[in-house]
Amino acid sequence: MTEISRIDRRGFLRLTGGVAAAGAVVTWTGKVLTPEAYGAPGAPDLYLGGTDGWIHLPQTPNIGFFHPDNLAPAGTGLTTYMFGFRNITGMTNTQRDAQKYKAQHSAPLFWVKQYDPANPVDFNVQLRNLGLELRPDLFDAHTLHWHGFRDVIPFYDGEPSGSVSVPSGRDFTYVYRPRDPGTYMYHCHVEDVEHVQMGMTGMVFVRPLQDGNTTHYPSGKYLYNDNNGSTGFDREYAMFMSEIWAEAHWADAHIQLPEWSDYRADFSMLNGRVYPDTIAPNGSIDPFNPVYDSTGDLVPPPGHPDLKYQPSSSLVNCNAGERVALRFANLGFREQAMTLAGIRMKVVGRDATFLGGRDRTGDTSYETETLNIGPGESYDVVFEAPAHSGGAGHDTYMLYNRAYERSNNLAPGGFGGQATEVHVHPTGTLGVQLYPNHWGV
Amino acid sequence: MTNIRTNLLGGRRRRTMRTRVLATLAMLGSAVVAVALDDATAAPVVEPPNVGIVCTDGDTAGAQQRIFNLTTRTGYISLPDGNTAFMWGYSSGFDGFQHPGPVLCATVGDTITVVLHNTLAVPTSIAFPGQTGVLADGSPETTETTGGGGGGAITSVAATAVPAGGTVTYSFVADHAGTFLYESGTDSKVQVRMGLFGALIVRPATTGAQAYASADSAFTENEEFMVLLSEIDPYLNQAVERGKNFNMAKYHPRYWLVNGRGFPDSIADNGASWLPTQPYGALAQVNEFGVDHPLPGLARYLNVGTEDFPFHPHGNNGLVIGRDGQELKGTGGEDLSFEKFAINIGPGQTWDVLFKWRNAEDYSPSNPVPQGVPDLANSVIGTFYSGSPYLGTREVLPPGTPSLNQCGEFYIISHNHALFQITSWGANMTGPITYMRIDPPTPNDC
Repeated sequence: MTEISRIDRRGFLRLTGGVAAAGAVVTWTGKVLTPEAYGAPGAPDLYLGGTDGWIHLPQTPNIGFFHPDNLAPAGTGLTTYMFGFRNITGMTNTQRDAQKYKAQHSAPLFWVKQYDPANPVDFNVQLRNLGLELRPDLFDAHTLHWHGFRDVIPFYDGEPSGSVSVPSGRDFTYVYRPRDPGTYMYHCHVEDVEHVQMGMTGMVFVRPLQDGNTTHYPSGKYLYNDNNGSTGFDREYAMFMSEIWAEAHWADAHIQLPEWSDYRADFSMLNGRVYPDTIAPNGSIDPFNPVYDSTGDLVPPPGHPDLKYQPSSSLVNCNAGERVALRFANLGFREQAMTLAGIRMKVVGRDATFLGGRDRTGDTSYETETLNIGPGESYDVVFEAPAHSGGAGHDTYMLYNRAYERSNNLAPGGFGGQATEVHVHPTGTLGVQLYPNHWGV
Repeated sequence: MTNIRTNLLGGRRRRTMRTRVLATLAMLGSAVVAVALDDATAAPVVEPPNVGIVCTDGDTAGAQQRIFNLTTRTGYISLPDGNTAFMWGYSSGFDGFQHPGPVLCATVGDTITVVLHNTLAVPTSIAFPGQTGVLADGSPETTETTGGGGGGAITSVAATAVPAGGTVTYSFVADHAGTFLYESGTDSKVQVRMGLFGALIVRPATTGAQAYASADSAFTENEEFMVLLSEIDPYLNQAVERGKNFNMAKYHPRYWLVNGRGFPDSIADNGASWLPTQPYGALAQVNEFGVDHPLPGLARYLNVGTEDFPFHPHGNNGLVIGRDGQELKGTGGEDLSFEKFAINIGPGQTWDVLFKWRNAEDYSPSNPVPQGVPDLANSVIGTFYSGSPYLGTREVLPPGTPSLNQCGEFYIISHNHALFQITSWGANMTGPITYMRIDPPTPNDC
């Protein structure tokens, strides 16, 4: 391809009223009908596939004919049509391609170590568009937009109008050098009103360079480069928030279009599930050691076959006296009001920013019991697990959306929806947490 | 994303960012006398800048005196789905209808006089939230009630001008810098939603471009932008146009706008000819941050809607340095600013946000992106893409690929992240969306 320094005649005609420029006509010399295959060098750090699929939500409430969806695969417990990402790292091509129509929600959680200029290592995420099984007519492209990434170039931003997006059957590798620790989120940005609502959303966070330094906090694990241990923690849990508007999901499955200004959050979720599914066990959620069956399909969490495509638990398991970090990110369309009843949370970061002021003269961290988290916002909090009350078993505290209509599944009675439990065990009960949201057992 | 209208990106950017319309005549002396400007006495028209804030500077007749005439008008605006909406609005002087109202610019210490001329068939007013000591026709402002004298139901939180020709003159001293709303204080649930609102910018009395008196609020003078967020329920506007009652319990916005426009109109130039009543664009045109360009840009966010609008600028975290005209400093000067990637601004709030974009990796044809570039025929190519990952570089695009890229400039989006609100009653990917346009370093072909 030839680089051109000025607008050609065709470009000028396209601009219709833009700047006037004259130049030689330069034409496309690449292939069109059989474009070259794209092969990025080396294996990516993470390989994600974008596709469609189904997840499980409670059969009740029955929401018109929108929920549960009568197109859902019978006998599976699945109710709701989704778009989503899957972790296809390390799969054979056969396994990879077999994951079409097997999307998960929320998208795989992953994290990256802060870029160290003294030891520069890129983090490469390859994205493959596996296609939409139920809606081949859409032939939608996908992208990966790392929401909040500073100083991004359009090429790696995933916003399709300003750069390129990935058509079905094609690949693209995004390269990240994250310099700012904190909690972010990612989503497909193609037709994002639809693709975000349909479930191509998840959390990503950046670990600080301070990690491993045990002088500030014994665990050597931190949310930020705080230089004082104020963001140190023993265990960490991702609380990724999303919403389902049943009519929109039904409409996509049934080749209809919803009127988006009628939007409502029928289901509000934590890590892709509603309570009490939120406290069911994890499936395969360690992004760097994915577990799948011989076909590449997910293995359901023990005892929960209907949560096969919702692998992430939100149960907060900790020992008394430990410091726990909660990472919240909201890609629902409504503000969430997450209350942790009975335990004070300290907000140490928001939007991947340590709350210490530009020059670290102003400490703007604060304690609260309720976080008001708007769409596209993230919050980093730490809390100290209170003393155990004695006796057998664990103490239970509730973490829930106190916009109660979003924590009750619209159904009568009790909790549901965007809620989970914090289990405080006697000191020494739980073992080491192997990865975020791991229960330590 | 489809249906991007062509003809959006106009010509070269002019470097004059603020139209300092210095009316050196008329408006002499008294701060409370309303005088109509006519064509013979008006200052020469200064063409507005293509992008950035278009200031209405009023008449600076005396020292630290600034006089604005605002007239209530009715008119129509264009919406991204092809619909139009009947609106009310404040216009500058005795100009025709515009939406939103003119951006009033002043300097700390100015005595601001606003003369409201009411052409509507209902009483109306202007409230100045964030200002104190507001006088109406020379007397301290009080609320107006049905019973008069403080009894009965409140009908207005600001002194009203009677219908069809009434005037009222408000005055106050702009005693602190910041971004403020002005809006109808009368039957506000209808009148503000019909469009009776605008922005008031009070600048510190400093020599350079700063948001506040503190030196660390300095910004690049020609990179100052407004992000005024609003919403419309078309049934309310239709009812008002037809003189019908509207049940406010059924108020339900169907359109959301930035600077009175929905995308893609939002990125058209200020004063675009095809948007005669919607003069304010929202494209943020900047240069990359660095030694040659050491100051950030400033975005002044305002929310005149009825709920929080979580605005998300891609590619750069905003540094929130002020809210509601209050600089984020502690009593001892501590820096309480914070970065955000979602500007979750509440109804009636204003946020002042510094932003910048660094070419962090300085990728270029000689320092290529590490994992290669797929064949463009293997990609879906965005309307604003140059064909190249590199700033200032363009590539030939496959046949039939439409492109609005001019010179290898970058386009990085900003949008409301309550995503159902970036629609326009059925037209998706519209509404409160705009872009940050990063021009290549000079010399360039832009």
